[in-house]
Amino acid sequence: MRQGVVYINTNFSSVSGFDAERDSMRTCLLSPLPSLPFVSSQPVPLPFPMAHGTTTLAFVFQGGVLAAADTRSSCSGLVACPASQKILPIHSHLVGTTSGTSADCALWKRILSRELRLYQLRNGRRLSTSGAAKLLSHMLHPFKGTELCVAATLCGWDDHTSLSGPSLFYVCSDGSRLQGTLFSVGSGSPYAYSILDQGVQWGLTVAEATSIAREAVYRATHRDAYSGNCVDVYHVTSQGWTRRTREDLKEEYYREKESRRQTHEAEKKML
Amino acid sequence: MALEDICNFKDKPTHKTFPFYASEDTSVSVFTEAFNFKWRGEMTSKKASDVPLEFHVPSLFKRPSSRASHSVSVRRPFPLSHGTTTLGFIFQGGVIAAADTRASAGGLVACPAVHKITPIHSHLVVTSSGSGADCMLWERILTREIRLYQLRHKRRLSISGTAKLLSLMLHPFKGTDVCVALTLCGWDKLIYVCSDGARLQGDIFSVGSGSPYAYGVLDRSLSWSLNKEEAILLAREAVFRATHRDAYSGNNVDLFHVTAEGWRQRQREDLKEEYYRDMEKRGLLGFSNWFTHLFLEE
Repeated sequence: MRQGVVYINTNFSSVSGFDAERDSMRTCLLSPLPSLPFVSSQPVPLPFPMAHGTTTLAFVFQGGVLAAADTRSSCSGLVACPASQKILPIHSHLVGTTSGTSADCALWKRILSRELRLYQLRNGRRLSTSGAAKLLSHMLHPFKGTELCVAATLCGWDDHTSLSGPSLFYVCSDGSRLQGTLFSVGSGSPYAYSILDQGVQWGLTVAEATSIAREAVYRATHRDAYSGNCVDVYHVTSQGWTRRTREDLKEEYYREKESRRQTHEAEKKML
Repeated sequence: MALEDICNFKDKPTHKTFPFYASEDTSVSVFTEAFNFKWRGEMTSKKASDVPLEFHVPSLFKRPSSRASHSVSVRRPFPLSHGTTTLGFIFQGGVIAAADTRASAGGLVACPAVHKITPIHSHLVVTSSGSGADCMLWERILTREIRLYQLRHKRRLSISGTAKLLSLMLHPFKGTDVCVALTLCGWDKLIYVCSDGARLQGDIFSVGSGSPYAYGVLDRSLSWSLNKEEAILLAREAVFRATHRDAYSGNNVDLFHVTAEGWRQRQREDLKEEYYRDMEKRGLLGFSNWFTHLFLEE
């Protein structure tokens, strides 16, 4: 592992059965002690005001789990990156949507991937989505009260567990860990929620589910200033995750405007 | 107060200062001749029709820039919350205004059956959001002023004029705790006026804590060419989705339809019924939650 990456003091002895492992894993601490966030240091002022603008959503249906997100990284009023990746694959059957501070989310996703891979190597099977969510939640717990901000939804397909099938968990750095069938996170989430509430049901086909997810992100990007640019859609099934080509929502906007104009013209002609 | 104006009765004001500063003697209530409206075409004069608008400004009125040494600040009895969902949009058949009916105060549902849409006159309806008390007061003041204008000038003030009047009346209270966000719905126009000073005309407005949820639904399905039933269904659906997700909106939905013939009110509907209908339609009524689907699949 590279220097400078933050390690935390995770206790895997109960999980992996290796007591010797625990000592070797207690590596140099750049991170807070479990009890006290920062060891008598002055709080560093933020270099720029951070904003948590995004729209991500995920829901469970008969065809698996669908996750969608916009691609705008904003920094108060600046669009820092119009083509960022907010849905990060963790392993072949688990993706995570990210919201909050993108730096924190990217880091914690990598840490989670590493821990899940280690679990898989030690135990010969993948950790369930529920276990992954619990792991992430416990890893984030020492940072509660600090400025760490991670709000992720873990979307996965579980095999070989008592509850196999699609699974969706919401984990956030405040400490929440919730299982559910529909989540939307971020500043654009209210706009997406109303579209999703209208259309999401268990019995949707993959095409219908994709279209609802795209529409929900589109509506959120239309109204929310901090969401925009493109939409990413990931679909998790028993075979793993697949990704739809990234679509620019500008095209969708113009298409809709054009079709509205055409229906308006048609109506006027009829009158 | 209207009778007082008609009879040209004027109380003697003790102070004639504008803009108003909190006076040293805070126990005296002060009149302000804040508004001396000069309608178009009329010069300054003391004609009977030119009676200025007078306000009782309470002595505890505080402005951010006031230098009053001993202004008493009244502690709020409960936390004010501006939770609501109101919306209005224009379509070919007129204007639809819809709102929920929950008045909340912090976490308490203070009243589950409030009227958030009030008619001002036969062709103008106003939806209110913000502080309930402020909205009720300002609606009454607005109604009074509109009626007086109509009596004095023998014609109704236009919707744009009404909006401008309201905006100007609210202006002295900018920076205070007055919180009023009204949408004036006429038969062909929709104007949003708020106590921050905004006055915007548009085709679609939704105001309140539940407004993002309503916007999502409205943006999707709203078009000019809807017929009346579709527009009403859309407005109901938008308020329903907002009340489903927003904790501060709920209970019933009120709907008004304003056309060139005037406004018509739909009967108030309990959204609980709508919720059960929606659950049934999606096949979830028999199940406590969705996970039973997962169990049944195996």
